[in-house]
Amino acid sequence: MPTVRILKGRNIPLKGRASAELKALPLPSECIFPFHDFAPRQFRLLIKEGDRVLVGSPIAEDREHPGLVLVSPVSGTVKLVNRGDKRALLSITFSADGQQAPVQHQKFSPESLSGLSREAVIEQLLKGGVWPFLRQRPFSRTADPMNTPKSIFVRAMNTDPLAPDLDVVLNGVEREFQAGLDVLKRLTPGHVYLCFDARAQAKALTGAVNVQPVAFSGPHPAGNVGTHIHHCDPVGKGDVVWFIEAQDVARAGRLFLDGVFDPSKVVAVTGEGVASRHHVRTLLGAPLAHILGEKKNDTLRYISGSVLSGRDAGYDGAVGLYDAQVTVIPAGGTRKLFGWLMPMFKDYSFSRTVASALTPQRDVSLDTAVHGGLRAVVVNDLYDELNAIDVMTYFLIKAIYGHQIEEMIRLGILECAPEDFALATFACPSKIDVGGIIQRGLDMIEKEG
Amino acid sequence: MGNDLIRKAMDDLGKNFSKGKPLEKFHPLYEAIDGFLFTSGTLARKAPFIRDAWDLKRVMVIVVLALIPATLFGIFNAGYQAQNALGLAHAWPDAVLRGLQIVLPVIFVSYAVGGFWEVLFACVRKHEINEGFFVTGLLFALTLPPHIPLWQVAAGISFGVVVGKEIFGGTGMNIVNPALAGRAFLFFAYPAQMSGEAVWYGVDGLTRATPLATMASVPAGTTGVAALQQAGYTWSQLFYGFIPGSIGETSKLACLIGLAFLLITGVASWRIIVGCVAGLVSVASLIAFLHVKTVHPVLPFEWHLVMGGFAFGAIFMATDPVSASATTLGRWIYGFLIGALVVFIRTFNPAYPEAVMLSILLMNIFAPMIDHYVVEAHINRRTPRAQAK
Repeated sequence: MPTVRILKGRNIPLKGRASAELKALPLPSECIFPFHDFAPRQFRLLIKEGDRVLVGSPIAEDREHPGLVLVSPVSGTVKLVNRGDKRALLSITFSADGQQAPVQHQKFSPESLSGLSREAVIEQLLKGGVWPFLRQRPFSRTADPMNTPKSIFVRAMNTDPLAPDLDVVLNGVEREFQAGLDVLKRLTPGHVYLCFDARAQAKALTGAVNVQPVAFSGPHPAGNVGTHIHHCDPVGKGDVVWFIEAQDVARAGRLFLDGVFDPSKVVAVTGEGVASRHHVRTLLGAPLAHILGEKKNDTLRYISGSVLSGRDAGYDGAVGLYDAQVTVIPAGGTRKLFGWLMPMFKDYSFSRTVASALTPQRDVSLDTAVHGGLRAVVVNDLYDELNAIDVMTYFLIKAIYGHQIEEMIRLGILECAPEDFALATFACPSKIDVGGIIQRGLDMIEKEG
Repeated sequence: MGNDLIRKAMDDLGKNFSKGKPLEKFHPLYEAIDGFLFTSGTLARKAPFIRDAWDLKRVMVIVVLALIPATLFGIFNAGYQAQNALGLAHAWPDAVLRGLQIVLPVIFVSYAVGGFWEVLFACVRKHEINEGFFVTGLLFALTLPPHIPLWQVAAGISFGVVVGKEIFGGTGMNIVNPALAGRAFLFFAYPAQMSGEAVWYGVDGLTRATPLATMASVPAGTTGVAALQQAGYTWSQLFYGFIPGSIGETSKLACLIGLAFLLITGVASWRIIVGCVAGLVSVASLIAFLHVKTVHPVLPFEWHLVMGGFAFGAIFMATDPVSASATTLGRWIYGFLIGALVVFIRTFNPAYPEAVMLSILLMNIFAPMIDHYVVEAHINRRTPRAQAK
């Protein structure tokens, strides 16, 4: 089995790791289905407030691809359809009835999966509501059922700060996970790359067959799907690869083996802002309040996902569909007198310009302070030290600012997503949002063909 | 408590600078003072939610700190040389006092006039004032002869900031190092005083040839080293810096202390500095080895290293990341060519003994071209990979 050693990048030793304990939470009384994960796809609602739904009932359909549906994670009633500007769908709130009665689909035996046709697999994934968990590169969005990817990547590792432990997440779902892999294999003429941590113990990973296993070692972003694709099967102009999170592979397996949409999700509860930190088994769309079991605190920031690539969900929000982590950190924002002159014994920095660099840093406490104003790029050799994808970030940024689409593509922007530049944004002394600029470049390419 | 009081005073003051208020136009100035006093209170609203503790202000403070040894020695040496020339006592307290009288006005004018332009451009362009000026202002002052008329300091820094930087869009967009642009302007505008051939002692008519100028008029049959020694210069004098010269550049030791600080903190690119030294050593050795016919006598590389502004330029000027090459390979090439050019100009050019300034400026201009080829090579390397089926 090949092992890829990632040399560039850095781990941020953030305080607040979750213990390896896995708690099963009771059913939440409400579930919130968020739509922002699917941007820029647009959906047509299939239900209205007050309708009854089962687990796996279609609730919305893609406007461009009829048949690509999103499904309900609970059985109960539709409580609220939350719309924003121009009636854009923001989220749907369900009241759970506690029954979790599922919609039944066709069942398959594990042996028959390898013999399924590609069309049959696509049909079951679409109908069963697991399709939206497949995403594509370039552009990092829900996969297009009309495409044939040159390969599929299963992301079974996560190196984000305080990331969930895949050994915990995949414990006990070996059968479903393998079935999911078998199903994915039907979707591509190329490999299904199973990318996991070189230290992984989970049987689901070490015992997986019919896939191309690749172990990754090294600091973040070794666990980013962009890193995996770059080192195994890079995308160029005209290429498409798909990727899926390991938990969702098990979800796909369950859909074929048992014929039901499995709404469960393991989430790591992390960050110094929350007292009990562990892994929980809960539902997709479970509200943060339910997962945390703590009162709201206005001095904290509630993030679905990690501090590097997550989203500010707010205490009243839900865990994103692709996220397997909740991070709660202090918001911060106290302004210190003459901070720039101080030795900075307590402030964390990748650079050696602060006194804290003299001692090894463990369990550092970080809030959401940006620590400076926006400036022109001056330290321009920093970004590439923190990126495991071989692109020249500084020149890519210049090409994006210059609207040079051909140059952006030549420099490799199609391999990139904003999350691959999270460390660059973190470390930039000019406080440049590198990931945001990359997203702008990708949007430009999509818009202009 | 003091923090809170000052914070409140600043917030009250800030109201006058907000939109629609009489001082709105000067908001960047308020912002700069506010940012000078307090750390930023901005919070990250989207990923990544955490940020590194350093900012550009911190980077610039580190560079200024690295310049402190050269500045302190420059102050002492300016006084020491002046006292010496006048035949006065040169015990160190006298030298320091006199040095302060000579050097502080130069630094003050450089900061004041340059700062004025910075604030003016920031206010007109409505962007925050860039901390890069803390470095430019001091760097420029340190490249000047101590007894330069203050109006020339003002003219030089004005040219450096306005033409060297602001007309290109400000810090980060400049092509050449602004401090060097200002220095070069003075060099060509007032060659009589700035040629680097002679150094004033602050006394009318009293000058002494610099080591570089000595090299320009070596009698036939004398080696370069012998000529320098006849003129009263030893290697260790040049290294420690007890010689007349521009304020910050005479002591190579002070520059090396600054270098150590820059390398420990990781602020300067070691590749550029190593490249500069490698370029200088290899070309100097090659010329000596091949017995090339030269305009000026051949010097061994260890003398080149301690002559003129090489150490100061390589450590503090060539490493400016904005005007240097931005690629790893490019930085090696850029540094190497600076070092090589210094020896070429010193050895073959009959007109200008001040080689370092011109070498760095020239390579500043070529840096984007070096980067262009490095980036093209990178693209060619990655293209077949990304398109392999």
